[in-house]
Formats: sequence, structure tokens, C-alpha cells
Amino acid sequence: MIKEQGVFGIFSYIDSTVQAIKKLREADFKNLRVFSPFPSHEIEEALERRESIVRFFTLTGATLGALCGLTLTILTSLDWPIRTSAKPIVSLPPFMIFVFELTVLFGSLATLLGLLINSRLRRNAPRIMYDPRFSEDKFGIAVVCKIEDIRKVEEILKLSGADEVQFEGI
Amino acid sequence: MNQESALTYSKVNHDIIRMLDKPTVKWWSLFIFDLAVLAFGLFCFLYQVYTGLGVAGYRHPVFWAVYITNFVFWVGIAHSGTLISAILYLFRARFRMSIYRISEAMTVFAVLTAGLFPIIHLGRPWSFYWLLPYPNQRELWVNFRSPLLWDVFAVGTYLTVSSIFFFVGMIPDIAAIRDRVKEIPRKIIYTILSLGWKGSTWEWGHYTRAYFYFAAFATPLVISVHSVVSWDFAMSNVPGWHSTIFPPYFVAGAIFSGLAMVITLVVPIRKIFHLEQFITIANFEGMAKMIILTSLIVTYAYVVEFFMAWYSGNPYEWGQFMYRAKGDYALFYWIMIFCNSVVPLLLWFKKVRTNIKALFIISLFINIGMWFERFNIIVISLSHDFEPGGWGLYRVSWVELGVTAGSFAWFFMFFLLFIKILPALSISEIKEILPAPTREAKAR
Amino acid sequence: MSEIKKGGSTKPVLSKGEGLITGGIKRRDFLKILGVVGGTAAITGGCSPEPVEKIIPYVIPPDTIIPGIPKWYASTCMECPAGCGILVKNREGRAIKIEGNPLSPINSGGTCARGQAALQGLYNPDRIGGPHTRNSSGRLEPTAWDEAERILVEKIKEIRSKGNGNKIVFLTNNISGSLNRLIDDWVNALGGRHIVYETFSHEPLKEANRISFGINKIPTYNIEKTKYLLSFGADMLETWLSPVQYARKFSEMHGYKNKSMGKFVQVEPRLSLTGVSADEWIAIRPGTEAFLALGIANAILSEGAASVTSGEADKLNRLVKDYKPDVVSLITEVPTETITRIAKEFVESRPSLALGGGAANTSSKSTETLVAINILNYIAGNVGDTVNFGDTLTLSNANSFREIASLVDSMSKGEVELLLIYNVNPSFTLPKTLRFDEALKKVPFVVSFSSFMDETTEQANLVLPDHTTLEKWGDYTPQDSVYGVIQPIMDPVFNTKSIGDVILSISKKIEGLESQFSSNTFYDYLRDSWRGIQTRLAPDKDFEAFWTDKVERGGIYREIAPIQVRLSQEVSTVSFSEPKFEGEGAIYFMAYPSYRYYDGRGANKPWLQELPDAITTAVWDTWVEINPETARKIGVREGDFLSIESPYGNITTQAYIYKGIRPDTIAVPIGLGHKSYGRYAQNRGVNPIEILPVLTDEASGGFAWLSTKVNVSKTGKREQLVKTQDSTSQEGRGIAQAITLKELESGVHEQHELGEKFDMYPPQKYIKHRWGMSIDLSKCIGCGACVTACYAENNIPVVGKGQVAKRREMSWIRIERFYHEDNGFDIRFIPMLCQHCGNAPCEPVCPVYATYHNHEGLNAMIYNRCVGTRYCSNNCTYKVRRFNWFTYNWPEPLNWQLNPDVSVRTKGVMEKCTFCVQRIRFGEDRARDEERNVRDGEIIPACAQACPTKVIVFGDLKDGESTVSHLAKDERGYRVLQEVNTQPAITYLKKVTWDKA
Repeated sequence: MIKEQGVFGIFSYIDSTVQAIKKLREADFKNLRVFSPFPSHEIEEALERRESIVRFFTLTGATLGALCGLTLTILTSLDWPIRTSAKPIVSLPPFMIFVFELTVLFGSLATLLGLLINSRLRRNAPRIMYDPRFSEDKFGIAVVCKIEDIRKVEEILKLSGADEVQFEGI
Repeated sequence: MNQESALTYSKVNHDIIRMLDKPTVKWWSLFIFDLAVLAFGLFCFLYQVYTGLGVAGYRHPVFWAVYITNFVFWVGIAHSGTLISAILYLFRARFRMSIYRISEAMTVFAVLTAGLFPIIHLGRPWSFYWLLPYPNQRELWVNFRSPLLWDVFAVGTYLTVSSIFFFVGMIPDIAAIRDRVKEIPRKIIYTILSLGWKGSTWEWGHYTRAYFYFAAFATPLVISVHSVVSWDFAMSNVPGWHSTIFPPYFVAGAIFSGLAMVITLVVPIRKIFHLEQFITIANFEGMAKMIILTSLIVTYAYVVEFFMAWYSGNPYEWGQFMYRAKGDYALFYWIMIFCNSVVPLLLWFKKVRTNIKALFIISLFINIGMWFERFNIIVISLSHDFEPGGWGLYRVSWVELGVTAGSFAWFFMFFLLFIKILPALSISEIKEILPAPTREAKAR
Repeated sequence: MSEIKKGGSTKPVLSKGEGLITGGIKRRDFLKILGVVGGTAAITGGCSPEPVEKIIPYVIPPDTIIPGIPKWYASTCMECPAGCGILVKNREGRAIKIEGNPLSPINSGGTCARGQAALQGLYNPDRIGGPHTRNSSGRLEPTAWDEAERILVEKIKEIRSKGNGNKIVFLTNNISGSLNRLIDDWVNALGGRHIVYETFSHEPLKEANRISFGINKIPTYNIEKTKYLLSFGADMLETWLSPVQYARKFSEMHGYKNKSMGKFVQVEPRLSLTGVSADEWIAIRPGTEAFLALGIANAILSEGAASVTSGEADKLNRLVKDYKPDVVSLITEVPTETITRIAKEFVESRPSLALGGGAANTSSKSTETLVAINILNYIAGNVGDTVNFGDTLTLSNANSFREIASLVDSMSKGEVELLLIYNVNPSFTLPKTLRFDEALKKVPFVVSFSSFMDETTEQANLVLPDHTTLEKWGDYTPQDSVYGVIQPIMDPVFNTKSIGDVILSISKKIEGLESQFSSNTFYDYLRDSWRGIQTRLAPDKDFEAFWTDKVERGGIYREIAPIQVRLSQEVSTVSFSEPKFEGEGAIYFMAYPSYRYYDGRGANKPWLQELPDAITTAVWDTWVEINPETARKIGVREGDFLSIESPYGNITTQAYIYKGIRPDTIAVPIGLGHKSYGRYAQNRGVNPIEILPVLTDEASGGFAWLSTKVNVSKTGKREQLVKTQDSTSQEGRGIAQAITLKELESGVHEQHELGEKFDMYPPQKYIKHRWGMSIDLSKCIGCGACVTACYAENNIPVVGKGQVAKRREMSWIRIERFYHEDNGFDIRFIPMLCQHCGNAPCEPVCPVYATYHNHEGLNAMIYNRCVGTRYCSNNCTYKVRRFNWFTYNWPEPLNWQLNPDVSVRTKGVMEKCTFCVQRIRFGEDRARDEERNVRDGEIIPACAQACPTKVIVFGDLKDGESTVSHLAKDERGYRVLQEVNTQPAITYLKKVTWDKA
């Protein structure tokens, strides 16, 4: 297999970052990682990322919750049928409350799960291809490319106005 | 906008993370005093468990009183937090950015406090878990028809969801702190908490999406929770409780009291940490306007209650409301009216709205007023219901006061820790509303 | 046991942890008690003098004992002179419940609160544990029985050797029966006197009867027959003569049935609990009852409506001619037309009856008053009809107050060397001014047989504690028609000894007596005297059979027809004048006997202390009733401490503002204010007798209770008056409803629709039964017997004054009282208990199903599951649920009374009326064993059983034939707060009132 390298540009301005992304993509460098201190729509558009799949987690969780709510209330009531006042053993109106609450609960938990899984959040500090300033005021683009392309990438980054460019092995 | 334009990304980081510097003596003394009060509250509770609920002031037929009042009060406080963070998020209200973190924290801690009271007020608190539908060899289950069980689920869900919302919202900011702090123990802690957040577009993509769903869930949840709490009363047949207006009335009241509490908390923090640049008069004004609105809704509810009592021709309802206005507890009733309906009217004046001191004082009035609103609903209704032969008066006991004080201490303990450990303002979101740095701007 | 050896400690005779059956019964006796049927059982069981040690565990269950199956023993109640027949429930060797004996003609099944509470006398933690003697340092110290008896024997010998036998006095209450005979003979044998002292002994009644009819006795009254009852201050439903008997008869006469009911008019300055049941209250000026009676008589005679011979007519006319209604009206402050109306009603609605007496009507002229009342009865032809001189009360044998006074006098003169006191507490019940205590100090040797350390016993030199009635053999004859048997229900709780046995055993040691008193035990003596009765009443019968039968039935009950009596000549000699009142004060002072404490003997029983007074609902303390008008004058609110000052001292107690008392009168209940007499009685309330003068009814020498005028002033001190109901108005909510007789007759009254209303959910289904109840408000007299019975049956804890102040009393059933000011002042009672609703609001709100609706219509409560959210109580429309704020304890041996069929609740759980589910189950099980259905009326809850007026009917609503389901459809039927649609299982029947003319 071919040994790959990463080029790593740090920007102060969002427009130059966006420009760099565009140029790189034109130059057919698709494997980009962009860092920003806040969620930026410009960048997202420039990268043409597709819709996050977290929403499917949410949907599944919510549906599951609704079902749990329904089965829990009805089955336990039937399992231990106790008469209170003249109310029927299975009184759906109050049970709907549990359906709702569990929908929300499971939905949220599933969403959290989805987030953690998809954004690959792990319990360790990022070492490579990261700069602490990203969480302050700098933007960054990491380009994964073949060794022979390094120069080219560096050029593009520089031209687009990167403050500095670094090389890192992956 | 002037101050805001003076803000740069790095200043945002700097100013907000600065709040986490070594605690001052003032902070420590405050914290230790708080713990002392909490200890007393805990003592009162244990004393009550040991001797029996009789040490509280309950008198036949008033079987719910200060404890349940506190429960409803704290749940109410919680609500505005979610309102500001979730509902206003969906509405993209800009003025929420600077205060939503504080109010979210308030939500979580308030729910943590509220959750204690249903257990504290039990006759046999050691078996509180019987309210949970857990499988047991006796094959006993819980009564899903009981409003109290609705509470268990509503409050439980609310606590979970608002905590998730709270912590997820903080991940990027914690990452920012991680990247600043040097000394080892803190570094490690924040590293773990930040879950290795890098701020890559990849992460941001999922993050924003997830955050949107949380908000979408939290919004109906917050409405449902206080509706359920109101059903604890509305679903019973007690005159003064049994009323269809309760859910909207309670939700409005909750937001009303919550906003007041936010102001009560934010004003001092803003002053102490010099956050004038972040938390602007405009923010306060926004809240003030919402207070006016909710105050009017609450007042309307008061009026409608009376009207319905009279119009329905129901002697018990009418007896109950006349008793509220003229009976043994009339003082509390009029305190409530004054604090919740009269005082907020001052906010119609821009001068008042934009005066921090005035806002602070008014917010205190509202806190008091809303506590008494719950007290009146619970205690007065119970002491004067259908059967004149059973009527009786309630008188509070020192144990209840102790526990109540303890609950405030419990709440503020979390809050004090929060402002020293976690970012009290949202770094990333404030950056969102700042104009992004561009070369054009530089050039000009 | 060590305590017993030391003697006297109030620790019960019980060696701990010796197995199932505590309460201390020797195996042999135990078998006898439980083994054989009814009375013959306890023969040796009852009176084994030596402390019991062995307790048998059920290692090998004796074949005659079925654990958990109660045995019932018939006996006689001795809480007051009425002598009601009782049945006592014995479980595993312990008395745990008292119920009325249905066979007894006196109470026929009912009891009063005091009768129920007799158990707390038996198990009272402050009972004297054994004989005591006064040691050299002048303190009472425990001793052994032999020693104690030796001391007494020595004393008697010493006195006799000095020839001072005549200086021996035996002071007892009215104990007519074998014991009375024994004591009489014994004291006479010693040369001494036997004096019978009853606090309320009604001398004027006897005297008046002697004057009017030449019969020096107290008759019985056939109230049940009367159509019109006119009572001058007689509190016949509380303490007067035979309260339970008269309550029953009254309900027969006054209870509404087939469109009619008798009328009851009460004449008294203060509306008493009895007066509350009256259709008309005449607030007469104190001490002028005689003139009202004469006025009425005058009206009748002048109408010529009297049923008397012409001779008698002139004679009477001469007596009453000066008392024209208008004249009388001025004296009595009763409107003339009222007098004439009553006169008319009194003769027209026959048979009628006029009663007189009671503390409310005992002035220095009460004999004359009662003569006047006799005249009324006579001219209305009631004597020999509703006034029964054939069957008279043994209470007539009591000595008069004047004789007691002279005894005290001779005591202080040192003319008494040995005073033996039994069952009376003179230092509490006699007015201070009589100086009984000083006189007692002059008596060299005082012996008390009291079971409790009361004020008198404290000053005794020798204390020989007697068994309580439930531990010993005996008999009692309240009236000629009744010979009641007293038999031991269980072995003695403490190291006590029956007084009869003491007398007999010491007689053995005194020469000259051993021959006369040869019986070994009082039990033998008793049987001997009953042999006499048998030869008199049933000579042909075999004694053993006779005895067994009578003991099983609880005694001999006969019918004695009224005898005809004519007016005696002496009547014409009577002259009428107003009684004199001691003291310069402006306000009449009335000390009235409490139906809870009688003369104070009830004060050491927590059940009675916590039973709310029906009118004030006050507990655990004394109060003074004062008219709002008067209160306004001196600026008094409820709870203010008032100082009441008579020439003989003053008392200070809290005010209760009461519209049912004349503005010129105040009233204080008798019974509290004990200086000793145990933890529950001690230093609680005040004793109004203390400030009464020694003033007697001139003719009869009876004590004049209402004879003082006092000054009332504010002390400035104020406290919450501890009572269980604050509101006096029912706010027009129709809790306790009433309907007039006219409305019922004409049928013009809205029929209450009692069927199932339209509902979101289908109505409840019941498999076999739906238990229900009906409560007839036209019969409820508010006596509170049901409340106390409920305490006894259901292990309901007593919480004490401090907790009741927080309204935390635990009573499952409460008597609510509501004042009505519309046309005249009037009070309504309504027993309020769990309504066992079909749509119970309490059930659905419980998160853990701790309360639910069972298939027999009971609103069940599962203590073990309850976590104490208390939501059920908040949602209870009737506020009848009670919460255990603490874990309440019963001081040893009060806990011996606990009903093993009912669980004792701990802190943090809710509780409430269960319709006595344990009795329901018992009945159902028995029916199943006998392979039949439960009979209607077979299952009776404690409250219904105790009720002397049979207000409460319990039964199966599903069985269309049952009494209760008929009553549920009664035209008077309604359900409290029906509009809330809780579908209660209890139907109340409206009180019926006479339309105010």
C-alpha cells in the first residue's frame, strides 16, 4: 500500500479557509478535515457534507420508547389487576402520559448515543493533526494526500492565505 | 452592538475561562456557609425520619404543605431554563446565547432539588422505590392511574433529558478549556470531559443535528412536566384544585418564576465576573418582557379561577375562594397577588426594565410571590374543602423550615461549584453570533 | 415475678417471654376458663388469690382451646349504678372487648362510652399492684397479703378490745347484692355502720315520692311507651339513673317510625347533651322549675283535663291555684303561651311523662320541685303507667348527702376509729368546704380497697386493692327486676384480691365472726346467697342448673308490672318557694356530671379523655360554657382563661362560647381536676365541686348542685382550647340533614335519587356482597359509645392533648356536631366515618395500590404497602382518613387489650374505618363452615353493636331483602355530599324535627 501523508494548514479567517477548501476540492483532494471554533455553515457548504444520520437513531429511540410506554403500563396493569374507584384496569388516557414521557426519554438517549458513535468522540486528547487554537480563534484544514502531492497541497493552502502549514505523518 | 464588536474570539475564550480561576476567599466563605445550612437541613430530615412525620407541621386535614410547595416551586424554577435553552433555541432568539448556559445549569440543579421533596414528604421515605415499576418476586406493580406516578416519570425524564442537553452543550467549551489549562489535574479532568472534541466539521455536523433534536424533545417535555405536576392537583376533587385551567396556568407560572430566578442568579454573576460585555441590558430586557407576558397570564388565571368559582355556582369552589381572599390565610393570598400581579406591572416602564437593580429586586418579589402561590393552592384548598366538620388549620414547623433552607443550600451548592468548574457562558455559541473574521473586514 | 415479691409495683403479673398466652393464667384455671361453656367456666379461674406465675405455651394445644376463637362471658358493668349487662370477649385468656348483653333488659345490647372503657380500668397502667401499708416514715410501701390482712385483723381486735366496735365505719358506693349483704352483716357483727355513698344519689326523688305517694323509692320510667316526654333537667341520656336504658327507651319513643314519633321537651338553663335530642328547649331560670310544673298543672286543672278524682282535684287546685301561667311566666321567664301549649300537649298526647332531677335541677328546693312534677304526672295519669313504682332502683338505698356530712362531722370529732373505704373517692367528690380531708386525718386508721391510687386512697393507712369487676365474682341488683351476675373474665392482672375474699379470710382470724362467715371464698358466699334467690324465684329447679343458666345469661331478668298508687295526703302540706343561692355573684354556676367521667372515676381512662365532648368537641381538659352575650360583655373569646369565684374559692379554666346556655348562667363539667388517680387523670382540668357550698335540699338532705352564684372575670391568659371540630356551621352543605314531620306526612320533600348516575365508566361489579350501612340521625344522641367501641375494637391509639391540638386524633369514626340558629338554637349530630364509596376518590390516586376497592364493596387499606404519600386523604371528600404521624405505644399493660385480629399500625401509614373487616371475615368464615349464606344482621361492626339507640344498621346492599338495603331506599335517606358522585355505601336517614308551632 502507499504510505500517506497529511498536510495541515492553519487559518485566521473564515473566508480564506472556505476558499482553500474550494480550491483543494477542485484539485481533487476530497479527504479533508476542517476544524473551526464554532459550527460554520460556510464551511459545511464548501465541503458539501450530507445530512447527519443521527436522526435515524433519534427516530428508532423514540419509537422504541413509545412501545415500551404502552406495553409497560398495559401489561403490568393486567398482571396485577387492582380495582381503584370504578376506573377500568386498562385506562388508556393516563397511560398516554407514560407513552409520551418514555418516547422523549428513549429518543434523547438514542440521540446522545448517535452523537457519540457518529462523531467518534473518544476519551482522549487529540494529538495529531490538531492545534489548541482551533478551540479559540483559528480554523484548520488537514489534507490527507500521497507524498508526491504534498507540495501541491502546501501551495494551495499558502495561496489561500494559511498562516502556517505543517506536515504530519498519519 | 459596540461592546460586542470589541469582542474577539480569543477575548471570549479568555474572559469566560477566566471565571474558572482559583476560587477567592469570598467564594470559599460563601460555599462553607452554604454547606453548613445544607447540613442543618439534612439533620432536620433525618430527625423527621427517625421520629416520624409528626415533627412537621401537618394538621388534619392539611396533609400536603411546605414540602410539596417546595417541590412545585423548584420544578417551576427549572422550567425557564429549558425554555431559554430549548424553545428560544428553536426560535433562534439571539439574546438567549449569553444566559442559556446559566439557566440550563439552573434547570438541572432545580430538578435535582425538586426531586428530593416527594421523597422527603413521604411517611415512609425508606420505601420510596416502591413507586418505581421494578420487577419483584411479590409481583407487585405500581398504579399507573395515579398522578403521583405520572410525576415520577415526568420528573425523571425531565432530569435525564435536561442533564444530557446541559452536558452535550458544554462539550466544545470544555474542549476549549482543555486547550487552555496547563496544570495537570485539571487538564486531565477536562480532557476526559471533553471526550476528545476537536471541533472538526465532522463533529460539528452531528453535534448541531443532535443538539437540534434535544431542543425539539425538551420543548414539549417542559410543557408536559409542569402539566403533569399541575395534574397532581387538578386530577383530584378538592375544591380549588379540581380545575381544567391548571396546566397552562402552572406552565406560565413556572416560566414566570423561572425567569425571575434567572435574573436573581445572573445579576450578581454578571457583576462579580464583569460580564457586562456578554450579558447585556438587551438580554435582561428580553427576559423582562417575557416576565410581563407570563405575569399577565398568571394574573388572568387568578381572575378566571374566581370567575369560574362564582359562575359555576358550585358552593364548595366559591366557599374555597372566598376563604382564600378573606379567610385565615388571606395575608398569604394578598402577598401572592401583590408580588405576582402588581409588582411586575412596573416592567412596563422601559426605565425599570433596563435598570439592573430594579430588575433584581422585582425578581426577588416574584420568587416570593410564586412560592406563596403554590403554598396557597396547596394548603388553603386542603384546609377548607367539602366537609366543614373536617376543616383545620395548618401551622409550619421548624423542621419544615430547616429542610426548606437546606434545599436552597443544596441548590446553591451545585451552582457555586458550577460557576467555578464549568463554563458559565457558552463559548462556541457566543462566537456564532460574533461576526466571523474575514480578510475583507481586515482589509477595510 | 420479682416485682410481685416486692409487691405493689404496677408491673403486671406476667413473666416475660413465656410463650403465646401472656396475661398469666395457671394452666389448670386456663383450661377451666376456656374449656367449659360460659359461666361455670371461671369458677376457680376467677378468684385464685396468689399471684399467677405459670404461662402455658401452645406446645401441646389443649383440645378445648382453638387459638384465635374468642370466648364470650356474661357479666355486669359497674362503671355507674345503672348495672348494664355486658358480654366480655376473651381471647387466649385476656379480656379484649366489652359489649352489651342483649338479654339484659337494662341496656339490651347497647353500652355507653364508659362501659366500653372499663377495659382500660382493668389494664390501667396506674393500678395499685398489690397491698400497701403506711410505714414509719409515713409513706405507703408495698407489703404481702398475709401481712396486710394481719395488720387489719390486729387493728380490729384492738378496737373491739376497747369496746369501740361502734366506731368502725364501712363506706362504700351502692353495691346492692351479695357483697352489700356481706359488708352489712360483717360491719354489724363488729358493731359498726355501713354507709352507702353515691355522688349522684337523687335523694329528692325518693323524698318527693314519699311525700306524694308514700313510697320512699326511685321508680323506673317506661319512656318507650310515652308519646310526650317533658323533662325538667333530667340528663337521662348521660348520667341520670340508668342512661343506657333510658337512651334505648328514648330512641324507641322518639325515633321516627311509620310516620310518627314522640315529642320531647327539655326544660333546663343549659342545653345539655340530653337536651340536644329534644324537640324543644326551654331555657328556664335556674331553680324555678317547680313553678313551671305548677303552672302547667294549673293550666291542665283549670281546663279540667286532669284525670283525677274530684277530691284530688280540689286538693291539687288549692296547691296550684296561685300559679296561673302568666304569674309563672314572670318567675320562670318562660312565655305564657308556651306554658299553656305544653299543658295542652302534655295531657292530650297520652301516655305522657314528666321527669325531674339531674344536677341541672337540684337546688335547695328540689324536693318541692319534684313533688310538683309528680303532680304533673299524676294528673296526666302517668303514675302507674309510665312511672313504674313496681320496679324501683336499688339506688334508693344510698344514704343521703346529709348523712355523709354528719359522718364527716363525727370523723372530725374523732368518733370514727376505723374507716374502711370501698369504691368511693370522697376527697374528690365532696365539696372542699365539707373539709373531708381534715376529718380523714382525725381517723386513726383508714383502709382503702380501691384499685387505683385516688385522692382518698393516698391518705389511707392500709391499701388492700380489690380486683376490678372483670376479674372477680359478684352480683349486682340495679333495680328490683334485675339480678346481675359478675363473673371473672380473666385472672387478675395485678397482685390484687377480691374484697369479699379479704373480708371472709380476716373473719376467720377474728373470734366471734368465724362461725358467722364460714364460707371459704366469696365465690361460695355468692353461691349461697343465690341459693336463697333460687328458692325464692325457682324453688322447683335444681340449683346447679339454675346457677349455670343464670351465669351464662348474665343474671335474672324479670318483668315487674307498675303498681297503682294514689296521691297521699301529705302533698297538700307542701309549700313552694324559690330556692336560695349562695354567693353574691351575678351568674348562676352549674357543675354538671360529665357523661364521659361520671363523678370523676372515668378520668383515668385515656379513651374517655380523648373522646370528644359531644357539644364542645373538647378533649383532655375542663372548660366553662358561657353565653356569647355574656362573653361579649366581659370581652371573652374562646380559649380565654376565666376565673370563677364563689364564696368558697375559685377555679380557673378555659372559656367555650356556647349559645345553648342562658346569659345568666355558666356551666363546668365534673370529672377532671384530680390531684392524683394516675398519669391520665392527674393535674388535668379543674374540679368545679371544689367551689360549691355545702348546701342541701332542705327536705331530703340531698346535695344541692345548682345553688351557687359566682363572679366571672378574665385572667388575661389565653390558650387554644383543644377540640376536634372548629367549625360549628355546616355552611348549608347538607351534611347533617333534617326534615319536619309535616313534610314527611304530606310527602312534600324532594326524594333523593340514590341510584347509579350516568358515569364515564361502568358501575362497580360485586361478586357476593356489597357491605353497606345506614345511619338514622333521628336516633343519634351523640353519646360517643360508637367512637370508644371503635377505639377498643380496632387498636386505635390515643395520641394525647398535644397531638389532638394539632387535630391528629386517630378516631376512625367521629361525631360531628353542627349548630343551627334558624328558629331557635338547635344542634345536630352526625357520625362521620369512611363511606366506603363505590367511586372512592382515595383509590385511584394512590401510586402503590395501598388502598383499593375490593369485591365486597369495601374500600380496603393495605398498611404494609402504604408509603405515606397521603394523597388519598387529600382526595377524600369526607376527610375520614387518619395518618400515623408517629409510632404510638400502649404503656404496659394497656397493650394487653389490643385486638389480635387487627394489626397495630406503625408510623408513616394511613388508616381508616374498615367496616370492622375482621368481623366481616369472621362472619363469612363461620357461614362457610356451616355451609350457609351470611344472615342479615349476623355481622355487626363495633360501632353499630355499641350504639345504645341502634342508630347504625350494617348489612349487605346486594341482598335486596336485607334491612340495610330497604333503609337505603328509605324516604328519609340521603348520602352526604352526593353531588360529588362518590357513590357512598352509607345512607343517612334525615333527622326528623317537629315543626315549630
